Amino acid sequence: MSDSTRVRLPLTPAKTPLPSAKACCHEIPQHTAGVDAAVVALVGAPNTGKSTLFNGLTGSRVTMGNWPGTTVEVSKGVWRTTLQSPSCNCETCTCANDESPLAITLLDLPGAYSLDAHSPDEQLTRGLLQDGPVSERPDLCIVTIDASRMAHGLYLVAQVRELAMRVVVAVTMSDIAAQREMSVDTALLSRALGCPVVETDPRRRTGLVPLAAAVRTALADPVPAPRPVPPTDDALVLDDDRFTWLSEAAERATVAPGNDRLTLSDKVDRWVTAPIAGPVIFLAVMWAVFQITTAVAAPLQNALDGFFSGPVSHAVTALLTLAHLNGTWVEGLLVNGLVAGVGMLLTFVPLMALMFLLLALLEDSGYLARAAVVTDRLMRTMGLPGRAFLPLVVGFGCNVPAISATRILPDARQRLLTVLLVPFTSCSARLTVFVMLGTVFFGTNAGTAVFAMYVASVALVVLVGLLLRRTLWRTMGAEPLIIDLPAYHLPTLRLTASVVWQRLRGFLRTASGIIVVTVCAVWLLQSVPTTGGQSFGQVPVEDSVYGVVARTIAPVFAPAGFDQWQTASALIVGFVAKEAVISSWAQTYATEQPAPGQTGLLGDHIQAAFVQSSGGHPLPAVLAFMVFLLAYTPCVATLAAQRREVGLKWTLFGVAMQLTTAWLLAVAVFQIGRLFW
Amino acid sequence: MSGPLHLVLAEITAGTPTLTEISRRTGLTLDVVHAAIDHLVRAGRITSTQLSLGCPTGGCGTCSSSGGCSLPAAVGRRRPGLVSLSLTQRVA
Repeated sequence: MSDSTRVRLPLTPAKTPLPSAKACCHEIPQHTAGVDAAVVALVGAPNTGKSTLFNGLTGSRVTMGNWPGTTVEVSKGVWRTTLQSPSCNCETCTCANDESPLAITLLDLPGAYSLDAHSPDEQLTRGLLQDGPVSERPDLCIVTIDASRMAHGLYLVAQVRELAMRVVVAVTMSDIAAQREMSVDTALLSRALGCPVVETDPRRRTGLVPLAAAVRTALADPVPAPRPVPPTDDALVLDDDRFTWLSEAAERATVAPGNDRLTLSDKVDRWVTAPIAGPVIFLAVMWAVFQITTAVAAPLQNALDGFFSGPVSHAVTALLTLAHLNGTWVEGLLVNGLVAGVGMLLTFVPLMALMFLLLALLEDSGYLARAAVVTDRLMRTMGLPGRAFLPLVVGFGCNVPAISATRILPDARQRLLTVLLVPFTSCSARLTVFVMLGTVFFGTNAGTAVFAMYVASVALVVLVGLLLRRTLWRTMGAEPLIIDLPAYHLPTLRLTASVVWQRLRGFLRTASGIIVVTVCAVWLLQSVPTTGGQSFGQVPVEDSVYGVVARTIAPVFAPAGFDQWQTASALIVGFVAKEAVISSWAQTYATEQPAPGQTGLLGDHIQAAFVQSSGGHPLPAVLAFMVFLLAYTPCVATLAAQRREVGLKWTLFGVAMQLTTAWLLAVAVFQIGRLFW
Repeated sequence: MSGPLHLVLAEITAGTPTLTEISRRTGLTLDVVHAAIDHLVRAGRITSTQLSLGCPTGGCGTCSSSGGCSLPAAVGRRRPGLVSLSLTQRVA
């Protein structure tokens, strides 16, 4: 009759007695095979079918899970071994008459990858198998290993074989291995490991009789000599000796299609992670993303722009007229402020949705992981710390969390350098401005213009990084890093749709909050007159506080070709948050009457401003503006994050560096560009 | 000594970018390379970090994408996806 129970065993060390497998088994006599019965311990890594095998051998039911052990518990049962059936139920015994079942006390120890005691489970397993007196150890140890990941299980086998203990290896998961066209030659493996090896399938209850036979035979034999280990105290050398042993055994006994046979992922990776082809493919993919996004979304965006500046604005105006509020500050705030600003944000919904969709497809398919390899290699080639690419990649979404992500860098200088470089990564808020200007000024080549900004962003990170390394931090060392790539797979519709929706919702929620606050602040500043004789809310924008401040600053940008006060004012607002650049333009131009020949759309206003300020060279001027927008301070939230991470002094240094870099680059782009366009 | 663990550590130090590439360069099977990496992670000799294009913990309050990002964290190597492994500085 089979029976089992679960008992808690004491943990070592903590001055508790060393655990005894045999003492434990004898605590509850009715659940053991007898005082003289052999004690066999079942050990193995989590998810190797160990508990299922225990159930199959004892006929009992215990809780099984697919997670590494959460409680340090040991299942115990009676295994009545026969040579004809997997286990014997004595009341209805079908054993041959000349054979008496051998009752064994079977312990199901917690899942353990090794006897190194990195976890409480491993600590207990080590205590039972290794630390306790030899007389209190199990008489035999069955180690389960997964045939599809054999090397993972063999390390534990190596350690158990170093003990004075009988060992039988049970190979499980052969069906999973077969799906991968792998199989294990148990005879060869047995010879390599120096112990019996039996293939079993606990779920289908096959291979249990041969296992019983192997265990009975081993129990009848004397304890084999332990596997010799090199005389050293160096843990790594000792571990490496085990890996040499297991590697040879696995290689000898595994029948696989061949390590030389490349999977489709391997074939693709040879190209997409190659030193030369990898970056080229990455750039081509990103260009395609931007080109598809702008080409598909631009018509929708224009239609929405016309919708908000036309019917929606007219409808709100009509309602205000009915309420006798037309011509008041309420109309200014609602129509020229909120409708224009929030409406402008909503025109980006198709664009952002498409962008998020394409990036989600790339991420879910596994390609972006390869892009990370390419980026990492580029960083290290330039002498920048390898791990710095992680926060920089995050920075292309948003600079604020990217600053926080620099905490993963162990070296203070690496952290500081990366914090100073993160603002040069082009965040998604800047993307909206780039797309709008690209659409207005470059038409069907808008995607290429936006892509150029991203390339410029990477170039800025690399060049400024190199400059700082060659001047401030010459002694900073690079740290190696490798990336474990996931296999390619077809993106799933549900996951992709979920990611797109969540990111779009997050963008709208945060950006709308920023825009509403900024719109109100800008409206307030545009309503306050600077000269006498004008009342609040009834002042031309250029005469308001907003206009006067912008006009004061605008001449600074004359060498860069964009010294219109409306343009300068957008940059001032952009210092607070880039999401608000376009809304501030919309707000400013919404109060102005369109010039003759203009449609009144925002794009026409902006185009006219650049034509005027650049002296007839709008393309180099707008490129200079985009470069300035890329390089100068991202937003006040980023500054706050920088101050938190590196202090006020370095934050101010960063602001000065960004403004200087931005202005110099913008001037260079315009002055050189005007020679050609 | 040039056992599998030393070979893998040497490749990481040399900047070999992927596990497949380490397998190809060392002649070890991918299974052994994976086992070696897992062992080195458990032994604290290399650090494993789950990556994504999302964000780290903290700092997301003002981020436009904070609603949709997934959080990379040092959660071991059980989850599928992009994982970075880097050498751990050890005091002699």
